[in-house]
Amino acid sequence: MLEFNKNDFKVFGEMAEEDLDARLRFVDFTPEDFTRLIEIKDEVLDHLDEHLAAFFEHLGRFEKARGLIGSVSLLQEATQLQREHLIAMVGGDYGIHYVAQQFQLGQIYNRAQLDMGLYMGAFHAMLSGIAQRISARFPGDSSVALAHYRSFKKVAFFDLAIVVDGIVADREQTIRRQQEAIRELSTPTLQVRERLLILPIIGLLDSHRAKQLTDTLLQAIRAHRAKVVVVDMTGVSTVDSKVANHLIQTVEAARLMGAAAIITGLSADVAQSLVTLGVDLGRLNTMGDLQGGIEKAEQLLGYAERSTERTGHLAD
Amino acid sequence: MSVPILKQGDVLIASVQAALTDHDLLQLKDEMAHKVGQFRTRGVIIDVTALDVMDSFATRTLRNLAATTHLRGAETIIVGIQPDVAVSLVQLGLTLEGVATALDLEEGLAWLAQPRAA
Repeated sequence: MLEFNKNDFKVFGEMAEEDLDARLRFVDFTPEDFTRLIEIKDEVLDHLDEHLAAFFEHLGRFEKARGLIGSVSLLQEATQLQREHLIAMVGGDYGIHYVAQQFQLGQIYNRAQLDMGLYMGAFHAMLSGIAQRISARFPGDSSVALAHYRSFKKVAFFDLAIVVDGIVADREQTIRRQQEAIRELSTPTLQVRERLLILPIIGLLDSHRAKQLTDTLLQAIRAHRAKVVVVDMTGVSTVDSKVANHLIQTVEAARLMGAAAIITGLSADVAQSLVTLGVDLGRLNTMGDLQGGIEKAEQLLGYAERSTERTGHLAD
Repeated sequence: MSVPILKQGDVLIASVQAALTDHDLLQLKDEMAHKVGQFRTRGVIIDVTALDVMDSFATRTLRNLAATTHLRGAETIIVGIQPDVAVSLVQLGLTLEGVATALDLEEGLAWLAQPRAA
C-alpha cells in the first residue's frame, strides 16, 4: 500500500493536522454528512470500475491528457491510486493519511503534466456518474438524493483543494530547485593554483547573495585548503554599505580560518561610492585588477614573481 | 573537561575536544602559560576544530593566552575555526585581532616552522 513519509509531506504541503479540521470546516462538513456518506457507500463501491472509467475516458478524449494516458506506468499508478482514493472517499476517515494519498495523486497528475482544467473536467464527469447512481438509490425522493449527493460533493471539493495544493507544491518545489541551481551557479569558486582560490562575482550583489558568498567562500577554503583567496569584483556594478560591510566580515572570517583575502577589480564607481558611504575598507587587501590580485597572491604563497616578465615588455 | 596539552618538539598542542566551560578555559590558559616556560616552547597551537560555538569569553581568554605566551617567548596560533564559527565571531565583532590563525593543525605547524624576524 501507500508509504507515507510525514517529512516529505511537510516539505511539499506544509500542512499540519490541525489544518485538516479547518479544511473540513471550509467545505462545511458535518456529522450528518458523515452518516449520509455511509448510506451511499455501496453506490460508489459497487460501481468502482464504472466511475473510474468515466474519469479516465473523459481524459482520453483530450489530446492534452496524452502525458498521462500515453504512459503505461503513470496511468497504472494513477488508476490504482484513484481507485484507492475513491474507496477512501466514502470510507469516512479523512485524516492525514487520506490527505497524503490525494496529495500524492496530485503530484502524479502534475508529473504527467495534466492540465488542471482538464483534471477538473474529468473529476466532474466522474461525479456526474456517481450522482446518477445516488439518485437511482433514492427513486422518487429527489431531495434526499440531493442531500446525499451534496454530502459527497463536500468531500469531493475537500479533495480538489488538496489536489490543487499538491500540484502547486510540486511546481513550487521545481522553482525552488531551479533557484537553488541558479544560486549555486552564481558563485563559483575556482582553484587556479595549489592553495589559491578565485571567486569571481558577477552581477548584482544583494545581501542574500553576499551571505551566500560568505558561506561558499568559507566552505571552499576548507575544501581546497586555500591560503589565499582572490575575490574579483570586476563584474559588480554597484555595492551598498550593507554589502560592503558584509564583504569586510567575509574577509575577517576568512582570516580566522587562516586564509588571506584579496579584493580586486573594484570599479571606479564602486570605489567612489564606498568612499562616499564612509565604509572603512582600509583593512582590506585590495588590488586594481585580477592580474594584480593573482600576482599578489602568488607573492603571499611564495611563488616566484612573474612581474619581471611584464617590466621586460614595457622596456621594449 | 580539561584540555590535554601535548608536547611535540618545541611546540605545545592543545586540542580542544568538547565545549569548554569558562573554568576549563582559564585552566587551559594558566597551564599553557606555565608549560611554555617549563619546556622552553617556541610555539603553541590551539586546535578548535571540534568547537561549534565560541563566545566572547573564549575569544578574550584565547587572546590573553596568546599575549601571555608571546611574553614568555612562544607564538600562539589558533587553528581549525569552523566556517560557521568564523562567521558568528565576525558578526559579534570578536575577530581575534593580533592572534595568528590557520586552517588546521598541519598549517599551524607549518606556520610555526617558518623563520620569523621578530
